[in-house]
Amino acid sequence: MALARVFEERGFAEVIPPSIESAEVFAQGAGSGAEALRAVDRNGHLLALRADFTAQVARIAATRLSGVSPLRLYYRGSVVREAAAASGVPRERLQAGCELVGEADAGADAEMVALAAASLLALGIPAGASRIAVGTVGYFSALIAAAGASPRLARALTDAIDRKDLPGLTLLCTREVAPGKARDALLMLAQPPRRQAEASALLSRASDLAPGEAASAALQRLSSALELLQARDLGAELEVDLGEVRGLGYYTGLVFNLYTAGAPRAVGGGGRYDTLLGRFGDPRPAVGFSLDLDALVPLARPA
Amino acid sequence: MITIALPKGRTLQATLERFASAGLSPEEDFASTRKLIVAARGVPARFLLLKDPDVPLYVERGAADLGVCGLDHVLESGADLLVPLDLGFGTCRLCLSAPRDSAVARGWRSGESGAERGRSLRVATKYPRLTARTFARRGVPVDLVPLSGSVELAAVADLADAIVDLVETGRTLKENGLVVIEEILQVSARLVVNRASYRLKLEQLLPVLERVGGPA
Repeated sequence: MALARVFEERGFAEVIPPSIESAEVFAQGAGSGAEALRAVDRNGHLLALRADFTAQVARIAATRLSGVSPLRLYYRGSVVREAAAASGVPRERLQAGCELVGEADAGADAEMVALAAASLLALGIPAGASRIAVGTVGYFSALIAAAGASPRLARALTDAIDRKDLPGLTLLCTREVAPGKARDALLMLAQPPRRQAEASALLSRASDLAPGEAASAALQRLSSALELLQARDLGAELEVDLGEVRGLGYYTGLVFNLYTAGAPRAVGGGGRYDTLLGRFGDPRPAVGFSLDLDALVPLARPA
Repeated sequence: MITIALPKGRTLQATLERFASAGLSPEEDFASTRKLIVAARGVPARFLLLKDPDVPLYVERGAADLGVCGLDHVLESGADLLVPLDLGFGTCRLCLSAPRDSAVARGWRSGESGAERGRSLRVATKYPRLTARTFARRGVPVDLVPLSGSVELAAVADLADAIVDLVETGRTLKENGLVVIEEILQVSARLVVNRASYRLKLEQLLPVLERVGGPA
């Protein structure tokens, strides 16, 4: 498998997590675990079919591989999720991905974005056919905190920003968020993405509106990662989108999604999750990504 | 090449005008041709003519990059889409309505569902998903009667206790002896965009979005 070779060349070792495990492992994952296919065993324990590799790899890294730093792990296999009825998305999907544990700097973020881009090429996706939308969860979380938004309002804002629903977002903000920098910044998040070359204006505007340390730090961090990526030939164009706020609940910093011509939705994505390992007793920073092989393999150029 | 899904319903004309102002017009007039897919004049784009409720799925699954349809169909479809623009036309309301002087019409505001004892409220609608969600939020059990048209009749002919349907002027309701009990949703035409197209064809789509949005 060409993909495994790319991962191994870059120092990643394969990890094979179980296909069934305690449902609790997935609780913070895809849709807060609600999408996992669950069943009760004869002892009354709630189990789930693997709904997300990252949570499993985090558990393994935090327990059996605790103390080994940094860790570079890759996996391949299927995940099972309850998709919306008639959405055309099968329950079981093939994935492959990588996780880098124990490295907290922007260099690690850039390494994983670059590896994701290289993976697409290794799968036979032509150079130039893909785009990577990069954002940061940190900025949005800081805005939510600064605006003092309730969990309900935070969910509504996330949904509106995720759908680029500027009219809906404007309505929510006027009705429920106090005027100020945080509100102006939130409204900016539904703006269209910018290609990397034009992103600096967007980032400096976001920075002007940053309501505090945390928001500024998140942007600073994103800029450093982008700078590192600029120096590389990724074979895919980068777009900066601060409205890239959807995804698994455990992301804390940089997030990215991969789009490839011919696929109607993201074909992969990832990000930084610095608090997930702590849930399993070994607080260490980590960053990773996964690829939707079912979507990507049909798009590969015939060799 | 960008593919645009047009709704063939009552908002078609207004939709075409907006696209025309963005420099996108069909080569042939949809009113005179039987073709369902027509190229745009002079630019690498094409138009698909669809029934309004089909627009969200065409766009979600990437058969069209963008499209126009009412917020009612966007939400009813449950499609995973971007909805960057409210086009401002095609406005109406999605309402719960019932026969004047019925138990539902009398009891709803005071918290009574108006259902017969021992039975869930029977509600006829073309919008089963939106209706189910509305009643679930209120905690009122509902017996959904999914129909494809002439929904008002269901309440009059005793197929249902109430209906959930679009109200534009209120005339159809009035002539059939129904009254609005509650407004569920303010509807207007939305521009919807496929998630991947929005990223991959950003340079082509942004100018269209800007101009279709109009002076709003």
